[in-house]
Amino acid sequence: MIPIQNEMTCDVLCVGGGIAALQASIAAAEEGSDVLLVDKAHPRRSGSGATGCDHFGCYLPEVHGDDINVIVREILGSQTGTCHDPRLTRRFLKESTAMVHRWESWGIPMRPKGFYEFKGHAFPTRPRAFLHYDGRQQKPILYKKAGECGVRFLPYSPVVDFVFNEHGQPVGALALRIDQEDPGFTLIRSRTIVLATGVATRLYSSETSPGMLFNLAYCGSCTGTGISLVWRNGGHTLNMEIPYIHAGPKHFARCGKASFIGVARYPDGSPVGPFVTEPDKDYGDVTLDVSHRILTERLCDGRGPIYVDCHGAPEAWLDEMREALRWEGVAAMLDHMDEEGIDFSRHAIEFMQYEPHVQGRGVEIDENGETSIPNVYAAGDIVGNFRVGVSGAAVYGWICGKSAARKSKDAPSSSSLDQNSLDAACDRCSRIYDRRGSGGATWREANIAVQTLMSSYAPVPPHKARSANLLCAGLKYMKDLRAKLDRELSADNPHELMRALEVYELLDCGEAIMHAALERKESRGNHVRSDYTLTNPLLSNKFLIMTNRKGIVAGTWREKWN
Amino acid sequence: MPPIIDKDKCIGCGICAAICTMDVFSHSGKGHSPEVLYPEECWHCRACTMDCPKGAVRLRLPIPYRLLFVDSATLRQGRRV
Repeated sequence: MIPIQNEMTCDVLCVGGGIAALQASIAAAEEGSDVLLVDKAHPRRSGSGATGCDHFGCYLPEVHGDDINVIVREILGSQTGTCHDPRLTRRFLKESTAMVHRWESWGIPMRPKGFYEFKGHAFPTRPRAFLHYDGRQQKPILYKKAGECGVRFLPYSPVVDFVFNEHGQPVGALALRIDQEDPGFTLIRSRTIVLATGVATRLYSSETSPGMLFNLAYCGSCTGTGISLVWRNGGHTLNMEIPYIHAGPKHFARCGKASFIGVARYPDGSPVGPFVTEPDKDYGDVTLDVSHRILTERLCDGRGPIYVDCHGAPEAWLDEMREALRWEGVAAMLDHMDEEGIDFSRHAIEFMQYEPHVQGRGVEIDENGETSIPNVYAAGDIVGNFRVGVSGAAVYGWICGKSAARKSKDAPSSSSLDQNSLDAACDRCSRIYDRRGSGGATWREANIAVQTLMSSYAPVPPHKARSANLLCAGLKYMKDLRAKLDRELSADNPHELMRALEVYELLDCGEAIMHAALERKESRGNHVRSDYTLTNPLLSNKFLIMTNRKGIVAGTWREKWN
Repeated sequence: MPPIIDKDKCIGCGICAAICTMDVFSHSGKGHSPEVLYPEECWHCRACTMDCPKGAVRLRLPIPYRLLFVDSATLRQGRRV
């Protein structure tokens, strides 16, 4: 059995080390809480914002004027605005103003050119909601700030489960140490928990480079830990059935689509969308925000491929764009272009849709960031009813940290733990490690097995549809796969054990998707069903809330919180 | 496969290994060059390259990841590629 080597206690436990987790940790520490941040990697450079971002959705009265609703409308109409409870969007925007100023005071360049510049993810003639900033050093700066506020860090420690009190309530977490020769556990007791574990990647087969698991636009170590924890423990999840499918350069999966100032064009040079006909440094071409799917559709019907063509832009604009891509953290693409002699002024880059990943779908939170599980909060990309990328993570991480700190003052400390559930969690991990050296199944083959099931039985458009037949078959096969992994999955070292446990998180996310997709008996967005082809207007202002209580899965509908 | 450490430049500080979010490296101690244990798990965030104090780490893009592109002129001429 893998031993529990260490025990720690805190008021607020932040699970994850990205933008949302660091923000929560700083906010809670400023409230006087004893804060521990536990990260599977190191918070200096972990998560999807590791080396940059360049669009910070926000409301700045000095730029936008006094009517916040102008920006509320833009955010809800943006590519990230589809799965929002508008009440959360408004709370976010109200607090986003102070966050811009706060980040600036901490040293993150929010106006690298000396003024607040709003550009990208924007339609010509419409207000612009995304502040263009330089996020390259955002993580080291937030990490340093958290340390200065007294936050304690436990790096290299993926959380594998909650720990519970005798009433079955989460009162901490069990984390696996991976920075040693043999794995060990740290048992953490806390009054409140903030889950901020990021997106779930590696769930669907790779569209860019089949067989290669890590060609990803988002952090490949993020596999939906927080969603899995909430799903496994009866909490509310939502919007898992509405796939998000990112798009970008082909075949190197990167973010930064909105940093490109070029025009999306067909091979005959005609623009794909109606918005711009020449490169535009303020708006770019928002066509590919409006429809990612068109990239695949036009490839499949032969009218594509679709290129993003920056030719005709003045060299100064192109230099700005290259700089913006560095701010966004995609300098690896620029390095590759330099090595290959690819030049934005002369070459048009083909774009594509990547495989789906889980982002802005998952855990339901209330206006204060609390999940349906008391004393458990969630922020960032694992939240299912709100998402505005990095700024959403920054602001809601902050709200969660403040809320959790206040709640911690009243929450009792855990006196006794549910030993049975703790033993079960330890045993679940240990069994995999006990098979080391046996030639058993590897995490990699397990991961690919999950991907093939997801791509076949919870497929995404265009040209593929879901149905009760497929989803029921998929759930059966997922259950069979889980049983097989329980018998055969092995790991030779702590790193492989971490990856093996990630596959179980992906299984949880996949099953949550299939159950929700089965329950949503209509087509909506990228959730397309061949047996329910209509989009039902009666469901437009509703969310489907899914729960899994000890294997009993149920769905209920609620009105959106307007 | 990425990343690639230039052993002549590397001073063995281990920063790349410490900060890698994918746990790609192994580092046996100060003064020793980290080993790239899991190159295929690199997601090309480029943190190691950015934070290496000696510029000793570079990333190599696997061939299937390469960008596909055409001369812009072919689009302007309304010509099939």
